[in-house]
Amino acid sequence: MAKQLQFRRLLLAVVAMVLGFAGLGFRLVQLQVLRHEELTDRARENTQIKVLMEPRRGDILDRKGNLLATSVFVKTVCADPVLIGSRQTEVARAVAPLLGLDETELAQRIMPRLRQNEKGAWVTNRYVVLKRKVSSETWEKVRVAMKSLTFGVDESSLPKSQRRFYQTLREKAVFTDPLDDQLRVYPGQTLAAHVLGYVGMTERELNGSRILETSGKDGLELTLNSKLSGVRGWRLTEADRQRREIVSFRDQDVEPRDGLNVVLTLDSVIQHIVESALAEAMERHAPVSVSAIVVRPRTGEILAMATLPTFDPNRPGDAPAEARRNRVITDVVEPGSTFKAVVVSGALNDGVVRLSDVFDCEHGRFYYGGRALHDHDSYGLLSVANIIAKSSNIGAAKIGIRMGEKRVYDYILGFGFGVRTGIPLPGEVGGIVHPVNKWSKVTIAQLPMGHGLAVTQLQMTMAIAAIANGGWLMRPMLVDRLEDPDHHVVARYSPQRVRQVISEEAARTMIEALKLVATTNGTAPKAALEHYTVAGKTGTAQKVVNGVYVRDKHYSSFIGFLPADNPELCISVSFDEPSRHGYYGGVVPAPVFRQIAERAANYLNIRPDRGEELTVPSEPVSLDDRPVGTASARSL
Amino acid sequence: MFEAVLNEKQARVDRLQAVALAGLMLLGTAFVYSATMVTEAARTAPLYEQSWLRQVVWYGIGIGAAVGVCLVDYRSLARWSLVIYWAALLLLIAVLIPGIGSIRFGARRWIDLGVFQFQPSEFAKLAFILALAHFLSRPADELRQPRNFWKAMGMTVLPFVLIMKEPDLGSALVLLPTALAMLYVAGVPKRFLLRLMAAVGVLGALFLVDVLFAPPHWQIKLEDYQRRRLLVYFGAEYAPPPGATRAEIERLRKQQFDDSHNVRQALISVGSGGLTGKGWRQGTQNALGYLPRAVAHNDFIFSVIAEELGFVGSVLVLALYGAVLFTGIRIAGQARDRLGRVLAAGIVALLFSHVFINLGMNIRIMPVTGVPLPLLSYGGSSVLSSLIAIGLLQNVNLYRKTY
Repeated sequence: MAKQLQFRRLLLAVVAMVLGFAGLGFRLVQLQVLRHEELTDRARENTQIKVLMEPRRGDILDRKGNLLATSVFVKTVCADPVLIGSRQTEVARAVAPLLGLDETELAQRIMPRLRQNEKGAWVTNRYVVLKRKVSSETWEKVRVAMKSLTFGVDESSLPKSQRRFYQTLREKAVFTDPLDDQLRVYPGQTLAAHVLGYVGMTERELNGSRILETSGKDGLELTLNSKLSGVRGWRLTEADRQRREIVSFRDQDVEPRDGLNVVLTLDSVIQHIVESALAEAMERHAPVSVSAIVVRPRTGEILAMATLPTFDPNRPGDAPAEARRNRVITDVVEPGSTFKAVVVSGALNDGVVRLSDVFDCEHGRFYYGGRALHDHDSYGLLSVANIIAKSSNIGAAKIGIRMGEKRVYDYILGFGFGVRTGIPLPGEVGGIVHPVNKWSKVTIAQLPMGHGLAVTQLQMTMAIAAIANGGWLMRPMLVDRLEDPDHHVVARYSPQRVRQVISEEAARTMIEALKLVATTNGTAPKAALEHYTVAGKTGTAQKVVNGVYVRDKHYSSFIGFLPADNPELCISVSFDEPSRHGYYGGVVPAPVFRQIAERAANYLNIRPDRGEELTVPSEPVSLDDRPVGTASARSL
Repeated sequence: MFEAVLNEKQARVDRLQAVALAGLMLLGTAFVYSATMVTEAARTAPLYEQSWLRQVVWYGIGIGAAVGVCLVDYRSLARWSLVIYWAALLLLIAVLIPGIGSIRFGARRWIDLGVFQFQPSEFAKLAFILALAHFLSRPADELRQPRNFWKAMGMTVLPFVLIMKEPDLGSALVLLPTALAMLYVAGVPKRFLLRLMAAVGVLGALFLVDVLFAPPHWQIKLEDYQRRRLLVYFGAEYAPPPGATRAEIERLRKQQFDDSHNVRQALISVGSGGLTGKGWRQGTQNALGYLPRAVAHNDFIFSVIAEELGFVGSVLVLALYGAVLFTGIRIAGQARDRLGRVLAAGIVALLFSHVFINLGMNIRIMPVTGVPLPLLSYGGSSVLSSLIAIGLLQNVNLYRKTY
């Protein structure tokens, strides 16, 4: 009986055990079969880390290889408030002066704080960015300062955990982001600022993580952003619990591809020559702005482009928005008399006039279409050449009338007005050119003197350069080539002709007229150079304010090229509202032109075409692989 | 041939159990190796310092001890059981004395013998089983007397309280099902057992309610880590003391996250193993330290096996333990006297409790308690006591009277 009971009880024990094992087995099936996928993902989440690697932004160089913009690696200094504990004041006192931060404000920022994350769990802030873009030298100073921090307590007498706290505080509380940040540096500061533009930081969401990106905001930095910025790399790898990478488990490791270097057609020496000449002029004439472009007529390469007021792209935020505007492409004006060259060269091309044809300039007052046209001086009979040289509005108007509306309009479009030149800069406008059917009767008389349409300074410059280039309009060129970081050429851009606007013959004739401008017979004797013949044209336009021409606001410009018969440089200088020491194109911009032309020609070793011949022709120093020094090539 | 006939009276070693044990020891060696050979330091350590070899040595010593236990008839051993029992209790008291017991992980469970950290509670369990079996082997009529039932309870409570004092909640709790199974198999009347279970159940429920819900002043004094483990198991939030500052609340929350780390990662290890596992020594959870290295080779060795051998491996482990336990029950059933039967049943219950609690905490159906997995977990005391227990079991089989 008792035995039977015991057996029954043993059997029950077996049943209990079987149940226990069944429970375990059921749970194992649940975990290892049913929830396998989910838990595998969680195991992978444990180990997987993805590191993004920023490519280095490419440099911008001038045509000689001088750095205009470059990127240097810098640190992001961060702090872990949990490790700092209650020692904010000491840490802030040590670090704030080195980083140029306010001490009390910094102490506030490194206070430990609690916040709730998206899942509602409480988390502490373990990552506070103290300062971005800190140079390695400064970071080294910060590190040393943290290491030698003392807290006014005898630590050797403290318990072990306290000592460890101070130890980690010194070594780990202030740290840098593992990946270096980049700082865009413009070593020339304001040099070519409007061409280069500037960069800014944008925060972007990428696969759920936020990243800070440097991207171009203006100028070439913006238009060539995709070339400069390169391609981000990444590393998919695994880490152990201490977040140390297991290199042998590295799954994907894609190196970032650094951005391309951009080599410009700009020459920083000429750019500097231009900018210092403009600065002097700015001082002397106190205009709203003054700008200049130096372009090589043969190729359309822009050697210099400058506008004042300017800004420092290292700190674009410090300058007002109007200082950051590249006025030579964004602002339109009525060009004034420089435009006569456009219409007259068209007339010459059509054979409607010859240089020697004589027009009656009506002694400074000519009624046409119900309006009176004026000259700045009283002229009687003037040849076409002299109409250009003296800049007679009435003469030019009569030439325009003789050409007819259609042909004037054709040449305006032919020289590239009304459409953008296609320079690779953001914000360029095409100007305003009305179609013939919108013209009033007087328009045909106004257009030849540069009124009744709006153009950019760049368009005007390129038009004059086309006359210098045998009638061929060139597309302005800023980028010469793209290079990879090892200076292998990736892409080389060649000069682009837009169209031949006038024949070479007509262009040569026009140049003869333009030569007269920079003589004592012309409007701009101050533009004349000692060793080079200058061809050019002045322009002085009254500005329109609220639809009315005002007497005391002028746009004065001078566009010229040299040597006149074999042009190497075309230089345009324009003043917006010069307020002191005159306002005429021949008075205000012409001397600036002269100053720039003289120094630039000397620098480029352009062979003089007048004055005394050098007895020993010096070996021309060609600092360039392009035919700037073709004067020498011809002399051989 | 005649010998065989003559020897038939002599029971033999249970072959199936021996094979299962060998399998477990092989698995144990392989996975202690896998769990510990993950750092450069462990790989370059001299051979005699490597855990797997030490484990093998302990298996050797344990088998020796088991064979030693088998030399003497369990009935003769039982006569000495009270002496062994009181000696074990003395050791349990000794371990509580600061000069003798050494502290690890905040508990005073070990006596440092220089080469070996001796854990008296492991052996106290066996002494307890032997003594209780001896006590319960009295005539069936005496078992019906409440007096004897209370004596048996006293024998259980004494080591239970001492082990709780160390504190070692897991080892102490293992005594309860063991005692219950022994009383049950010995034939103690059902009404006693039902009352006992009811009392234990009510007490346990009260205890849990107190830990989980009572305001701080009302709570029983419990080791901080024990309370936290229970809170983690039941998924309850750590309650901050009244008037705690933000930093203190913050610290508690972080602590809770850290405390639940082991359990969470063990679950991930087991689950990510899938059907066939990641392969021996290929488990990332273990190798990369997500399953903490301090526990991967002892309390959480099952997670390592489950990760690296997958469901197949887990089932293999269950099957091997099943074989050991069911052969143990068979031995109990075949025993001709109550001493042998109760002794065998007690040992089977002890082993089963260990297996169930340990596997349970690996797969989150039990709270975390420091109960090792017999023969698989790394550790001298555990291996030795497990093998001695097996020795006792085989002893019962060996000296079985076949009349």
